[in-house]
Parts: sequence; C-alpha cells; structure tokens
Amino acid sequence: MSKRFSLTPYLFLAPALIIITVFILYPTAAVVYYSFTDYNIVQPPEWVGLQNYQQLLRDPIFWKAFTNSFLYLIVTPTLIFLSILLAIVVNRPLPGINVFRALYYVPVISGTIAVGIAWRWLFDYNGGLINGILVGIGILPAPVQWLAEPAFTLPIAMLLTIWIGLGYYMMVFLAGLQNIPEDLYDAAVIDGCNPVQKHWYVTLPGLRPQIVFVAVISSLAAIEVFNEIYVITGGLGGILNSGVTMVFYLWRQAFRLQHAGYASAVAMVLLLITLAFSIINIRLLERSEQNT
Amino acid sequence: MKQIEKGYLSAAFVLALAAILFVACGAPAAPPAQTVRETVVVPQTVVAAQTVVAPQTVVVPQTVVAEQTVVVQPTAAPNPEAVIKDVEPNAEVSLWTFWLSPTFDDYIKSTIARFEATYPGVKVNWEDHQATFQDDLRNAFAAGNAPDVINLSVGEGWVSDYATKGLLLPLDDKVPQDVKDLYFKGLWEEQLVDGVNYQFPWYQGISVELVNMKVYSDGAGLKLEDFPKTVDGLPELCQTIKDKTGTLCNIRLTVNDLLAQMVYEGGVKILSEDGKTCTFDSADGAAWLQMYVDMVKAGTVDRSVLVTDQDRVGLDLFTSGNSAFYQTGPNLIREVRANNPGLYGYLAAVPAPVGKSGVLGKGLMGISVKNDTKFPNASIALAQFFTNPESMLEFSKIVAVYPSTPKSYDDPFFAAKPIAVEDSAKPIAKDIVSKYADIVPTVPNKADVNEAVLQAVQSALFDNVPVQDALTTAAKACTELINK
Repeated sequence: MSKRFSLTPYLFLAPALIIITVFILYPTAAVVYYSFTDYNIVQPPEWVGLQNYQQLLRDPIFWKAFTNSFLYLIVTPTLIFLSILLAIVVNRPLPGINVFRALYYVPVISGTIAVGIAWRWLFDYNGGLINGILVGIGILPAPVQWLAEPAFTLPIAMLLTIWIGLGYYMMVFLAGLQNIPEDLYDAAVIDGCNPVQKHWYVTLPGLRPQIVFVAVISSLAAIEVFNEIYVITGGLGGILNSGVTMVFYLWRQAFRLQHAGYASAVAMVLLLITLAFSIINIRLLERSEQNT
Repeated sequence: MKQIEKGYLSAAFVLALAAILFVACGAPAAPPAQTVRETVVVPQTVVAAQTVVAPQTVVVPQTVVAEQTVVVQPTAAPNPEAVIKDVEPNAEVSLWTFWLSPTFDDYIKSTIARFEATYPGVKVNWEDHQATFQDDLRNAFAAGNAPDVINLSVGEGWVSDYATKGLLLPLDDKVPQDVKDLYFKGLWEEQLVDGVNYQFPWYQGISVELVNMKVYSDGAGLKLEDFPKTVDGLPELCQTIKDKTGTLCNIRLTVNDLLAQMVYEGGVKILSEDGKTCTFDSADGAAWLQMYVDMVKAGTVDRSVLVTDQDRVGLDLFTSGNSAFYQTGPNLIREVRANNPGLYGYLAAVPAPVGKSGVLGKGLMGISVKNDTKFPNASIALAQFFTNPESMLEFSKIVAVYPSTPKSYDDPFFAAKPIAVEDSAKPIAKDIVSKYADIVPTVPNKADVNEAVLQAVQSALFDNVPVQDALTTAAKACTELINK
C-alpha cells in the first residue's frame, strides 16, 4: 500500500520554518560568508579568503577577549552555589517568605542597563556607596577608582551578572527542592546526618537535573556576556581592554570600527565555542536524566 | 430715454458680472494677504441708440463714469529663502536629525513647514535618531534606504567618514557662490575630503568650562578669573582642587578622535607633508601625552571619565555636583538644571582653555546630502534651508547654539546682555565661531588609526609604557594603516 503525500504537516511546520530560516539560518549563513570578506556594512563585501582568521590568530586583543570570556565562566559555579543556598533558605516555611522570594527575583526583571548604571554609581569614586562604606569603617584610607582599575573591571561585571541572575536560578532550584521527598531527609536524619550532610547527601543529588540545566544556561550566558561589560565600562571595554570579552570585541569591531567581516570571523569562533559547550552540556543533561 | 437707462443698467450688470467672475477665477495659489481690493473710477464707453427726427437711427458714442470694485493681484516676489534653483517638482525627501526630538519637535516641524511653503510641492519626511543614530545610518546605507538629508556631527568626524566612502554628495559645484558666502568660510571648509566640501555647516557649540562654584570657589578657594586660559594650566589646577577638596578633575580625552585633540591641544603635526607618514611621535606629541600621564600618576583626574567616549559620563558626574568643572556646550546646561536644580545656582561659565594650536575649535554639526539621492536639488535645498540665517537664528533663540551664518548675528538677540548662565557666550559667539577651523588633515582609515592611537595612549596612561615608546608604536601602526 503506497503512502499518499500530504501537504498538511508541511503547512503546519511552515510558519516555524520560515521564522527559523529568516532569523537564524540565513543570518548564520551570511555571517559564515562575511567572515571571509572585508565588509564595512555600508559598502559591498570583498572576498579576502582566510585573511580575517589569520589576523585573529595574531591579534592580542582577540586573545585577551578569548581569555576574559573563559574567566567569566567563574560566574557559573558561583551562581549555582549561591542560588542553591538561597533556594534552601527560602524553601523554609517562614512567615512572609513569599515576600523574600519576590524580592530576590526583582533584579531578574530589572533591565540590565538600568541596573548597570546603578552599579556604576555604587562603585563611583565620588560618593559611591562602596567607597563610602570602606572609607567610613577605615578599611580604605582613601576612595578607590574601582571602575578605572583594570584588575576590578571583570570582577565588578561578574558580580553584576551574579546579582542579576541569582533570583532566576534560585527559583529553578526552589522548584527542584520542592520535588525532593521529605522522607529522604527524615531517613538521612535517622542515619545520623547533620544539617550540612543532609544537604550534601540528599539535596545535591536531588537537584542534579536543575544543576545541569543551570550550568548549561548560565555558562552559555557567561560566554556571551555583553550588557554588563558595556555599561560598567561606559562602552570602552575597560581600561587596557580589561573588560573586553568576545561578544564585546565582536561588537566593537563591527559597529565601532566597521570591520563587519572581521567581526564575523570572531562570531564564527564564538559559534564553535558555544556549539562545543552546548554539546557537552546536552550530554551531561542526558546522563543526568538517565541517572534520575 | 428708457432705452438709454436700460442700456446703462445692462452695461453695469455686465461689468459687475465680469468683476465677480474675475474674482472667482483668480489664481488660487496667491496668498490672501497680497490681494488688495479697492474702488476705482473707470471711464467707460457705452453705445447708445438715439432716434432723431428723421426716421433713421444714428449711433452716438458716450462716455459715462461707473464705480466698481476690482481686485489687484500682485505677482508674487521670489521668496528670499528659496535660493536653490531647479528643485525637482513633487520631490519627497527624507531627513534624519541627531538627538533633537522630542525637545525641539516644534522647531523642526515649523522649519519643515516653512520649507515646504518656500519650495511648494516638495514633501519632507522627518525622523530623529538618538543613541543608535550611527548604527541606524550604516544599516540604512547598507540596505539602500538611507535618508536624503542627514544631520552629521562635524566634531566627531562623521562627515569625512561617510564622504570618504563615497556616500555623500559633493556640494562645491552644486551650491551657488552667493549661497556658500552665507556661511563662515572656516565652517564651510571643514571636513573637506580631497579639498571638496560635503556639508552645510549647521548649529555650532561654544566650548565653555562649566564651573561648580561650590567646589571650585567655596571648597578650593579659587577665583573664577584665575581659571587657566590655556590647556597646560590644567595639571596645576587639578592638583590644587584635589589637595583642597579631594575632588578629581572631570576631564575627557576625545577618544574617538585623539589625533584631532593632539592637533588642537598640543599643536602636534600628525602627518608628513606628503601624507604618507604619521609624525605624531614628535616632541610635541610626547609633551601633549606626558601632560595627561602626569595627571593620571598624580591621581588628580577621574580615570573612567578620562577615557570614556561618552560625553554623558562626564556630564553626569558634573551634574551630580562631584566635580569642580566640566568642558561642554552651554546648550547642555539645561540638562544640569533639569537633573540637579540645586546645582544650577552655583554654576558659572568661563571660556574653555585653548591649546597650543591657538585655534578655538571646530564646528559641531553639519547637514549633508546622500550621494545617490533621487532629488539632489530638493535635498540640497532642504539642507541649505535648515542652515540658512533665518532658521539658525530661530534655533538659537530656543537653545544655546550658535549660527554658522554671520548674518544671523545681526539680530538684536545676540547683542542683548546675557542674564542666564546658558547665555554667557552669546555676546562673544560670533567672534569665536568665525574663528573655528578644521586644522586636522584627512587621515585614511581614520577609525583604525584612532584605535591604534587609543591603545598606545592607554598603555602610557595606565600601563607605565614610556610616552615616547607608546607614540612610536602607534605612529608605526598608523603609517601602515594610512598606506594600506
């Protein structure tokens, strides 16, 4: 019996396929092409072969951006640790706990740019809260220009990322915590576990799917960080390129220096890195699902 | 006799009808204000038939006097603002301005209305773009739908950036000499690319030092009249302010155009005579950079402001009341007043210190025309109209910007004694603007060259690289880039 061709499933798929083609596949293909060209956005691209990639290998600022992007991954374990801790705290049936849960979520729904500007003021030399406190209690003899110290650029941006993301990941872990049966904690107590051991042997294994999920999401976000760097460094990328990450460098090359071809080559490297990360993370996720 | 009376009545009726028809069919485009109605005495010849004794009819011509209303329709004089000829009929041109909406919506819209009345049949579509102006414009050029008329920053070097890519219309051959003569010569000749002009000079700014007297005078004990007249007086001033108040100087390098700053402030010669070698690693260049390095090492300047490319960062710091002075245009005083009204009462303004070049500055804004516009004459007419003496004067009356046209300054508005701090530069504006000149040579691959210079300047300022080494490295990179 021969199968009859039916157009109907393709019609159902068409809207999604069109959107994916227009907004993902075509731009990706275009970036691949531009990465082999000299393209300044306003004039037609000129084919230059591998020249952009050869230049990348010799470009010290690109390697600085590459290193900074990987350094930025420090936010992932920090976020996981802090948000689990916070989730455990707000998982307790305390009076008014929902208010605290909502408050911790506020940074998530606040715009990164607005929050970033507020953070600039926190770390400001003149009248900034951080300098005010540290000088006030005698830790610092004089105010520090935090935002103009190359050593502090990335840590301040990372703190901002952690502060913004904490509430969101806390909610993910909170949902996971509420799925762990209470019996397991009771059994752990009967077996002689103290509170820390209880979380080590019960909570962490129970949260494994959420931990993998958060690791995937937050590491991809970290490697693609831009907003925090842009706002904290006032669009410069930090003194001596101290805050330049790969996406920031890509943006600077494309939109400041009008080297869209070169920026496309940076984007291709970034694409390969995120692809590798995604594959590793998906494998971890699959393994985690098999184990649970 | 009855026949004669009948004849009179018929003639009067016919004349009245003619007058009504004349009025009804008059040229509709004429402005009503120019229509004059008056009563005139008109001699008329009426033919009357007379019967005499002999049975024959003779014709006797008679002259009678009748009063009637006529309409005098004078020929419209050419509009003095319509200085561009052969504007394409029914042209529709697009105009992009930079960060003028919503504050100046009324001004822009009324100027467009005046333009459309001056050049009947031309329609203008206006858009204002703000923080993303440059990105939007590049994308528009890439997509082939860039605006016909574009407000570009002369100060930031946008005109020469786009002109060197062949995207702007050269104006020298298309604008009559008498129209070119409306502008200050120095402003017309700014941002030339291979000796050709691509912009109508628009509103100008006058750099002043806004001074926060609470810090500068009350805190540091300094007198306004002692504010440095030259740039090389800044290090000592900053040291005094730091010592007495703990406040850092709010000084900004022009990180998007460091070569220009070298030229104006340091009197540095940046290119060799043949334009093939970068020469800013000279003694003048080193002295210029060393001044900033010394200030950074002395800890007297806010380093994040020093190297930001956003004027807002420095302006916000000044507005917060935490700096003694900031160099900006009087037009931005309104922002200080709006965001920190308490500071406004402590504001004073002094002329900005000049550099070794002795040149007071260069132009601020221009209006250019897209090279491949479908309506070049209409677009030129619009660009010219916005920058003509009348339009400029009206703009200056609503915000502290200054015309690029000498004639605008003849208005009593500029002679009036300033009352508000925003107006402090008004009486001297013509003298200052007339001396503006672009003394920076055109540098090929300017954005890349500037990036190389910025990296070198940062390495000297913050990484202890000797000034001479940093500049030599940058000059070498620059020479390679300009010969690419």
